[in-house]
Amino acid sequence: MKAISLEFYKFRHRRLFLMVTLFLLVEVAFLFMGISRSISINPHNANWEALIVMFASMNGLIFPILVSVCVSRICDTEHKGNTLKLLLTLSVNPGQIYAAKYICACILMLWACTLQVLAIAVFGIVNGFENSVPTSLLIWFFAGIYLTSMAVIALQLWISMMWKNQAFAISLGMIGGFIGMTADLMPTGIRGMFIWSYFSKLSPVAQSYESEKLDFIVRDIHALLPMMLIVIVAGSILYLVGNFHLSRKEV
Amino acid sequence: MKQIVSTHNLSKRYQGKYCVEDLNISVEEGEIYGFLGPNGAGKSTTLKMILGLTRPNNGIVSVFGKEFNKNRRLILSQTGSLIESPSYYGHLTGLENMRIVQRLREVPEKNVMEALKIVRLDKQIDKKVNQYSLGMKQRLGIAMALMSFPKLLILDEPTNGLDPAGIGEIRELIKSLPERYGITVLISSHLLTEIEQIATSVGIINNGRMMFQGSMAELKDKSHSTIMIKTRNNKLAQELLYSKGFYSMQRGDSLVFENLMDEEIIQANRSLVTANIDVLRIEENKKSLEDIFLDLTGKEKSL
Repeated sequence: MKAISLEFYKFRHRRLFLMVTLFLLVEVAFLFMGISRSISINPHNANWEALIVMFASMNGLIFPILVSVCVSRICDTEHKGNTLKLLLTLSVNPGQIYAAKYICACILMLWACTLQVLAIAVFGIVNGFENSVPTSLLIWFFAGIYLTSMAVIALQLWISMMWKNQAFAISLGMIGGFIGMTADLMPTGIRGMFIWSYFSKLSPVAQSYESEKLDFIVRDIHALLPMMLIVIVAGSILYLVGNFHLSRKEV
Repeated sequence: MKQIVSTHNLSKRYQGKYCVEDLNISVEEGEIYGFLGPNGAGKSTTLKMILGLTRPNNGIVSVFGKEFNKNRRLILSQTGSLIESPSYYGHLTGLENMRIVQRLREVPEKNVMEALKIVRLDKQIDKKVNQYSLGMKQRLGIAMALMSFPKLLILDEPTNGLDPAGIGEIRELIKSLPERYGITVLISSHLLTEIEQIATSVGIINNGRMMFQGSMAELKDKSHSTIMIKTRNNKLAQELLYSKGFYSMQRGDSLVFENLMDEEIIQANRSLVTANIDVLRIEENKKSLEDIFLDLTGKEKSL
């Protein structure tokens, strides 16, 4: 707990929560404008499924970049002032530092995911969507983006802690964003190999084009569970590898 | 006296080349141990190995009589350090930086203010560290190392970036630490004059190997004087003086005598004059500490 509270203490004056909020607001505003236009053209588009699908697709682009920026800002405080050396001579365990940074990034992304789910619910209510708020769908949507975010945090944390130059970590985030956005167009076998593709893959609603018509299909939740397990295992492996790598690093 | 730091055959290899090899350091309680060596001699690597920041390829480090690897937490909790450049969070103020160390060290508030006062940063605590000069950052690093008033303080070139007045202040501070707070100090530097003024013991390292270790007095003992006599006929003079019991070596255009007392010099001079050998010059040549250092490290003056 002390290590985590110290991490937050180190963020002072860096306005990380404000940055995440503004990042999210831009995404939410962009999507709400698009959906509002779509509803004004065809009122049948005012449904929860369409809203969730659009957010899931957009998250594939935005979240990898958001995660890379957040993690990079959490880690570069240590690189800029050579403070890893200081912390290690103060008998702090490298594993503790790594865990504290991981948990901090997870808390930041928890805020981002919660904010997004709340924004979807409020938008639906304000626009008078026919059905009541689909709590179950939103919980699964939340679980999908949060689990994927946690796995991507593990990857970004490894890169950001090991390489001083954060341009590399941010570039990886951008590549991730591109893959996350275009993942739906990739063959099923290949897209599962990229961790960023799970932002849309774990969405409880999928889109289907049949007879030149776009449909939204609510997925069988049980079919999502094995994919969630894959994300958890991948995230755990990435975390352990990064943690091991840091513990072997000489400063 | 109790040994505070000792290493046994400490070695570190980078890409197949030893930068520290079979190093045996011995720092005793209450000492100010000056760890001296030219740039790239292996001082920082050695200090990093003592603090567990770098893993040695071979050898053992013991601090407070305990093996480092088995007692890391305990040893580090009683050790303060400043290695290479100072470490700091630039976007935080000086006081906030101190608070981070305070929370990790679990020391009372008064220690924070006292350490800041000692390094004369107590008027600058609300300024962001990014706006500090290099000297101020160095002082902050020393304050962080001092905050818990540890049993052992390891400082790696602490006067880097300080102005002459600052160097003098830090020197006086370090000199006062053993007596005032019972702190043993291990300080590295490539400047002989700096170490000469504060250290009670000294270790000289070159190319990763210990060239000399002992008290400052022992090092100064190495600076015995030689007498150089220049005559019109050095060969004849050497033979004559040899027959009178004075052994000399020819160096350049002079004869060099070691360990001559004043009376012996008078006697040698009288013998030469009596034998009609003209004496052109008699001079005393005393080795400075710098000469000894250069002899030991085999380096030219550009350190």
